[in-house]
Amino acid sequence: MTEKMIEQELGTAAGPTAAPAKRPHGLRIFKRNPNKIKESKLDIFLNILNLTILFLGVILIVFPLLNYFSLAFNDGNSNLKVVVFPVSPTLNAFKYVLVGAGALDFWRAFGNSVLLTVVVTIGSNLVEAMAAYPLSKRDFPFKSGIMMYFIITMLFSAGIVPIYLLMYMFGLLDTIWSVVLISISNVTHLLYFKTFFEGIPADIEEAAKLDGASDLQLFFLIVVPMSLPIIGSCCFFTIVGCWNGYGSAMIFISESADGKLAQPLAYYLYLMLQNTTLNKNDPWLMANGQNVEAAAMVASIIPILLMYPYVVKYIKGGLQIGSVKG
Amino acid sequence: MEEYVNRTSESPAVQAAGETAFPAGGIAGDAGAVKPIYEEPGFWKSQWKRIKKYRKILFFLIPAAAFTLIFSYIPMLGILFAFKGPEFNLTKGDVLYNLTHGSWTFANFGNIFVDNSFWRAVGNTLIINVIRLLVCFPLSIIIAVQLSELKNQTLSKVILIILTIPNFLSWAIVIGIWSGILHPDTGALGQITGHIMAQDAWFKPLAVFFSAWKGAGWGCILFYSAIVSIDKTYYESATLEGANRLQKMWYLTLPSIMPTIALMLVLNISGMMATGFEQIYTMMQVNAGVLTDSQIVLDTYIYEISVVNRTSVPFATALGVFNGAIALALMLIGNTITTKTMKRGLW
Repeated sequence: MTEKMIEQELGTAAGPTAAPAKRPHGLRIFKRNPNKIKESKLDIFLNILNLTILFLGVILIVFPLLNYFSLAFNDGNSNLKVVVFPVSPTLNAFKYVLVGAGALDFWRAFGNSVLLTVVVTIGSNLVEAMAAYPLSKRDFPFKSGIMMYFIITMLFSAGIVPIYLLMYMFGLLDTIWSVVLISISNVTHLLYFKTFFEGIPADIEEAAKLDGASDLQLFFLIVVPMSLPIIGSCCFFTIVGCWNGYGSAMIFISESADGKLAQPLAYYLYLMLQNTTLNKNDPWLMANGQNVEAAAMVASIIPILLMYPYVVKYIKGGLQIGSVKG
Repeated sequence: MEEYVNRTSESPAVQAAGETAFPAGGIAGDAGAVKPIYEEPGFWKSQWKRIKKYRKILFFLIPAAAFTLIFSYIPMLGILFAFKGPEFNLTKGDVLYNLTHGSWTFANFGNIFVDNSFWRAVGNTLIINVIRLLVCFPLSIIIAVQLSELKNQTLSKVILIILTIPNFLSWAIVIGIWSGILHPDTGALGQITGHIMAQDAWFKPLAVFFSAWKGAGWGCILFYSAIVSIDKTYYESATLEGANRLQKMWYLTLPSIMPTIALMLVLNISGMMATGFEQIYTMMQVNAGVLTDSQIVLDTYIYEISVVNRTSVPFATALGVFNGAIALALMLIGNTITTKTMKRGLW
């Protein structure tokens, strides 16, 4: 930046101050005079470059999604020509998955996922919020020691063999409950709740106490309703995590006949991806395997899509908490 | 609150430290200089008083403490399996029988160091994670800066929402989508590129690409909200001083979000030993279903040894414990760095 250019810019910027009578709000002068700060050629070039790159990014996201959606609605014999829209639209793949021969497996996995998600979302957040409430008190006895007790589990785990053997001892292998129980404990959410509860003014709780509220009433009728934003965020993360995760299901639930009854939906889709669940003797299925797979996946997204307005609100309203835990 | 005041009034040292520990500005003070609280006279007495004061909400802790005990601490006792001899066999008796019978040995940990697959897995894990750090992490920052540079705020939010869609799909769906597109016979791109998902050479680039595709949009939200919260008057005065757009980005936007960047960087480096088990294992299964040398990473190797093959329980435990220890060390190092430089811990 040469001095000449700085002078030039200062000259144009200082111009409006010469006529203060017209503009009483001195500080807002530059917003009201868009002409004074002209878009340079560099700015215009950058704007175009910026928009182009973002547009390409959006295409990179949207094109695969559209392509896959149209596969779900397409007939297997013309998959070759599908780019963005279905070439020969048909609902056969959806029929097979939702009401046809594949329906039993799909809805069983769907039900398992609903069970897993509901129990973990309610259980985990209730348990962690309850634990966070006493820990949010400034003078709670042995507070740092108790926090350490929880935080250590976040830092170190003994690996998958001991937890597998524990589930083996409990007899919970090949059931959905192994996945449920392992997902309940969530120290990250405990920390979020604790930080939020610490921000609630103590006066409110003391006023409620004076009115004769018990500790249980205080927590469920005062603290929880005041903490709905953070509880909503944590529930949302839990729901998405339970619906989409299948890492622990891969550990605890085998592909045996027992395990088949306990598969959550994401795990079922993962197995479907390997074509191990399709009947190789059915010629229609062999031709439409990819479409059936796509239809099952599209159907499985719908519950998450229903939650998307929340995501939009969340993004618009700024972050309540860090997005460390995606 | 009353008891708390009583306790602090007993000791002027704590009272003074209390003032420095919570200054008006809210910056974390010299908490390290405070005398350990349990050395104060009357500490145990006041602890007892406070236990009595909070006795009714103490039981709120019980469910979380119980779940943590059963599903985190009791498995930690399972570290003992790592020291069992090779005769550990679940068909002979249950877990407790095997724990109390048979020999003890350190050989399992020694075997890790002479295991070629393990070192290959460590190498691949580090390669994938370093490339991810070099590609995905800056990508999130770049997208956030780009979005904030858009004049139209609504447009930038719409783009942001579109970019976050893949984050809400499971890895099975993401890899299903891309294996459909890259299918050599029927995929829209695969007809041009060939069957790159089955080629060893393409495994790591694709792993990084899928991570970026799924996570970059979501990752940039944090940076985007940091940029949006920068005071607009800084930009106005920078304009007055004659800074152009690029200079404002480089000298104003980036330094302003530097604390966020540094924190996320340390977090990323702390998680260096984990590659995202679901992603890598699904990619591998979709390709060929066999762990080849270039695809094997630490997470999937431990899974194969522990759950799929189940040849040696003690060795698999030792692998898991070793991995956990490295991850713990990385987290502690990361926490030390952030506490020293940014005055805040990782948790």
